Amino acid sequence: MIQLLLFLLVAVMLFFSLYLLARRSSHAEGSAQDLLEARQALNALQNGLLPQEILGRIFAKEDLDYITSATPRCIHELLLEERKRIALSWVGQVRRQLLSLRQFHLGSARFYAQLNFRTEIRLAVDFAALQSACRALQFLLYLRGPYAAPRMVEATAAAAAKVCGISEKSLAFLKPTHLSVIADSSSRDRATL
Amino acid sequence: MPKRIDVQRAAHDLHLRTLSKISRPLDRLIYLASTRDYNTGLYYHDGLAARFSEEVACEALADCHREAFRELTSSSLEDLVSQMEAYMASLHTSRGEFIAAWRKLEPYRVAIPVNTDPLAAEFLFSNLKVALAILETRLSIGPMTEPGAWPRPSLVQ
Repeated sequence: MIQLLLFLLVAVMLFFSLYLLARRSSHAEGSAQDLLEARQALNALQNGLLPQEILGRIFAKEDLDYITSATPRCIHELLLEERKRIALSWVGQVRRQLLSLRQFHLGSARFYAQLNFRTEIRLAVDFAALQSACRALQFLLYLRGPYAAPRMVEATAAAAAKVCGISEKSLAFLKPTHLSVIADSSSRDRATL
Repeated sequence: MPKRIDVQRAAHDLHLRTLSKISRPLDRLIYLASTRDYNTGLYYHDGLAARFSEEVACEALADCHREAFRELTSSSLEDLVSQMEAYMASLHTSRGEFIAAWRKLEPYRVAIPVNTDPLAAEFLFSNLKVALAILETRLSIGPMTEPGAWPRPSLVQ
């Protein structure tokens, strides 16, 4: 009886080891996808969603002033409706891209980037705070329109840019210059072989 | 000579000979979009290709197109309305027909550069929609009416 139990225990341990190995290899396959998604999220945030140029235009008060002073009420309503749609789309996209970046930091970043424990904790807190800020901003924009919280928009964008800065360092090895160095060294290796 | 410098030279040449004569970003965007083949997404300009090469001309036109898009996106709504009004006046078509066609067909949707950030594109389309509504109200009530007395624009196509 004891022997049977021992055999069963060994079998369970073997199955568990196999499960761990399988999980590890599937993670290795998925990690390239994680990296790609993180890089895309970072590009979308840095080039499309956070530049002051586009933010300044979406939430520009001068457009509202112009519409209020020079056009009928229905145009005023149309502008508010359109800007609200764009503002909600903006904050929704910022939130989604931040989630994608957080996923990268939770799952794969430690394999590629040498972030110290303090930075990781700070990043986790920043991500959590940003997610809450985005939710609150969505709620405010939905209820009170696109011009309701200009300071909060600025603060959220600034905090997101800060997180992007840290993520940029984690993903720096994916930059074309780094990749060309890797490609060069791999082609040299092939030549040597 | 590196290709990028060639592209910069071609873009400069295009600015000097053609784009400097088109003062409004909206007109420049539409002109540059018209040099793009809808089937391939490649830009063609015979004069520029003859001076440089087809590939360099294509890249220079694409760069200028992106620049015109950026300029137009950063225009204020008031500026966009004046640009659209001036563009409309430069055409040999009635204002009513122009507004109806732009509202129904939304031709500006195919005039943006490829790989444009979706939010920036959506923002420009939204601004153009508002600008069209403003022009439509102006058209329906005439230039002398007081702003306070303006009626709701007809949204019936």
